[in-house]
Amino acid sequence: MIKRIALASVSALALAPMAAQADDCSLTISVYAFAQDDFDRIVYQPFEDMTGCKIVVETGNSVERLAKIEANRESPVIDMAVLATHDALGAANDGLLQPIDVSKLENYDKLYDIAKDPLGNHMAVGYTFYATSIVYRTDKVDVTSWADLLSPELAGNVAFPDVTTNQGPPSLYMLGKALGSDDTSLDVPMTELGEHADDMVTFYVRSSQLAQLMQQEEIWAAPVGRFSWAQFKESGLPIAWATPKEGQTGGMNVMVMTANNGNEELATKFMDFWLSTPVQTALAEALVDSPANSEVTVSDEIADNLTYGAETVNSLHLLPPEAMIANRDAWIEKWNNLVVK
Amino acid sequence: MSSSNGLFGNRAIGLSLTLPAAIFAAALFLVPVAILLSEGFTGPEGGFSLGPYVDFFADPRYRAVFWRTLKLGALVTCVSAILGYIVAYAIVTLPSASRSKVFGLIILPLMISPVARTYAWLVILGRTGIVNDALGLFGIEPVRFLFTETAVFIGLLQLFMPLMIVSLLSAMENMPTDAVPAARMLGANWIQVFTRVIVPLTREGLVIGGTLVFTGSLTAYITPAILGGSKVLMLETLLYQRVTVGRDFASASVIAMILILVCFAANLGLRRLATVKKRAMK
Repeated sequence: MIKRIALASVSALALAPMAAQADDCSLTISVYAFAQDDFDRIVYQPFEDMTGCKIVVETGNSVERLAKIEANRESPVIDMAVLATHDALGAANDGLLQPIDVSKLENYDKLYDIAKDPLGNHMAVGYTFYATSIVYRTDKVDVTSWADLLSPELAGNVAFPDVTTNQGPPSLYMLGKALGSDDTSLDVPMTELGEHADDMVTFYVRSSQLAQLMQQEEIWAAPVGRFSWAQFKESGLPIAWATPKEGQTGGMNVMVMTANNGNEELATKFMDFWLSTPVQTALAEALVDSPANSEVTVSDEIADNLTYGAETVNSLHLLPPEAMIANRDAWIEKWNNLVVK
Repeated sequence: MSSSNGLFGNRAIGLSLTLPAAIFAAALFLVPVAILLSEGFTGPEGGFSLGPYVDFFADPRYRAVFWRTLKLGALVTCVSAILGYIVAYAIVTLPSASRSKVFGLIILPLMISPVARTYAWLVILGRTGIVNDALGLFGIEPVRFLFTETAVFIGLLQLFMPLMIVSLLSAMENMPTDAVPAARMLGANWIQVFTRVIVPLTREGLVIGGTLVFTGSLTAYITPAILGGSKVLMLETLLYQRVTVGRDFASASVIAMILILVCFAANLGLRRLATVKKRAMK
C-alpha cells in the first residue's frame, strides 16, 4: 500500500512540470489587492477569452510585491506589475524593469500626455490617476487654501495624512506651496505642521476610517484621494471637495514590465488591452480607476466620483517620483522629529 | 493496546515521528525568521555589527516608543489581572448552569475580529459617542479620547482581557472550594485572602494569562494603528512604518528582535515570580 502511494506521489510530481508546460501561454501579473472582482470581470476574463492565455494574478501591497520581484530577479516570476510611480522608479533604478515597447501599444496615443512616459525611457505607462484635495464640512468652515488646514477655525478638527501614506507627501507639498515654499525637502510644511501638531486630531494611515470620523464630528476637514470621495458624499452630511487656490495634488499608478521575463509580447498585449477605451471606460464606470485614456467618456454622475477630464488631469501638481525616492527616508526622519515627536 | 504502548513508548520511533514536523518548522519558520533577524546584525559593509541596535537605542524617539509600548503592555496586563480576578472569582461562585452562560459571554468577543472590535471603539469613544454622551449628562464638555494613549489602552484591554479571565478561571476551578471560606474563618481579611490564598493557588493561570495579555498587547498592530494612529506610535506601528515606507529591514528586524526578547523576558519573569512564590509557600 505504502509503495503504491509513494509511486503515485512520484508520478504526480513527475507530471506536474509537464502540466505546467502544456499551459505555457500564461501571464503572471502583480497588482494591488483592491477591487479584484471588478478587474477579473472587466480586464482578466475578457483578455483570457480573447487570447486563450491564462492570467495568473498575484496581489499584495507594494512592499511585498516589490520584494518578490527583487527576490526573483534572475528568473522573473512576474511578467508585468502595476505600481505607484515612485515605487516603479525605485524598481527601475534597481534594474528590475525593462522599457516597454510603446510602438506595440495601439492605445498609447490616446493616453493623456502625463501618462505616456512618466519615468522616462518608457520604463512605465500611466493607467490611472487620482486627485488629492481637502474634503470639509461646509456648515462649519470654508476651505480655499491648503493653509486653511492650520487655521484657528479648524484647530482640533483636522485629520492630516501620515507621511507614510500615499497622500502624505503630496499634501505636505501643497501645504508647503500655500506657505510659500515649493521645496521638495518639505522642511517648511513639516516645521509648520509640527507647531500645529496638537491641533491635529490624528495623522491618519487609513483613509477608510475618515468618512466615519467625519460622521462622528471628530473631524471637519482632511486631505484625501478622490477615490474616497464617494463614501463622503454618501454620508448625507454637508461635505464639499475643496478647490484650493494653490491647486490640487494627487498621484498616478503605472504599469511596468519586469526585466528579462521572456513574456514581453503577451505582457505588452495585456497592457494595451487594459489601456483600451472600452476597458478604461468599464473600469471608470465601475468607479474602480479614473481613466488615463483621454478618449474615455462617462456620465457627469460617474465623472464626479473620479479624477476625470484633461483639464483636471493637467492641473494636478504631482510630486515628482524622483523627489519621492530621493527624500523618502529623510521625510520620515523629519516627520518623526518635527511632527509626531 | 500493548502494541500501541510499545510503539509510542519507543523513544527512537517517537523522535522519528516528530522529525517531519520539526523539519517543516525549521525550514519554513525558524530559518526564515533567522534570516530576517540577521538583518539587524549586519553592518553597512556587510559582516557582523550591533550598529542597528546601537542606532535604535541611541535615538530618543525610538526609546520613547519602546518605553510607551512596554508601559502600555504592563498596564494592560496589570489591569486585566486585577479585573480578571474579580470576574473569574465571580464566575466560579455562580451555579454551574449560569457559569457556562457567563463563560460563553466572556469568550464571545474572542470570536469577533479584532478589526471590528477596534472600529467599535472609534464609535464609542468618539466626540458624539456614548461615553461623551454620558459625560454630557453631568455637564462635562466632550473629552477627546480617540488617538490618545487612553484609547489604545482601552482597546487593548478589551481585546486581551478575555484571555486573562479564561486563564484565571481555569486555575480557579482547580482551587479547593473551601480554601477561601477556610481563610475567612481563620480571620483573614479579603486582601489577605487574595494575596495569600487566591494568588498563590492560581499563579499558573496568572503566568499563562499574563504572558498572553502582555505579548498580545506588545505585538498588536491594528488596535494601536486605528485608535492611536501615528500620534501614539508603538513598536509594532513603528516596525510597519520602517518596512512599508523606509524599506528599512535592518531597523524592522531590530524591532522584531526586541519584541521577541521582551516577550520571552516577560514570560520568564512571570514564571520566576510564580516559582519564587511557590518556594516561599513551601
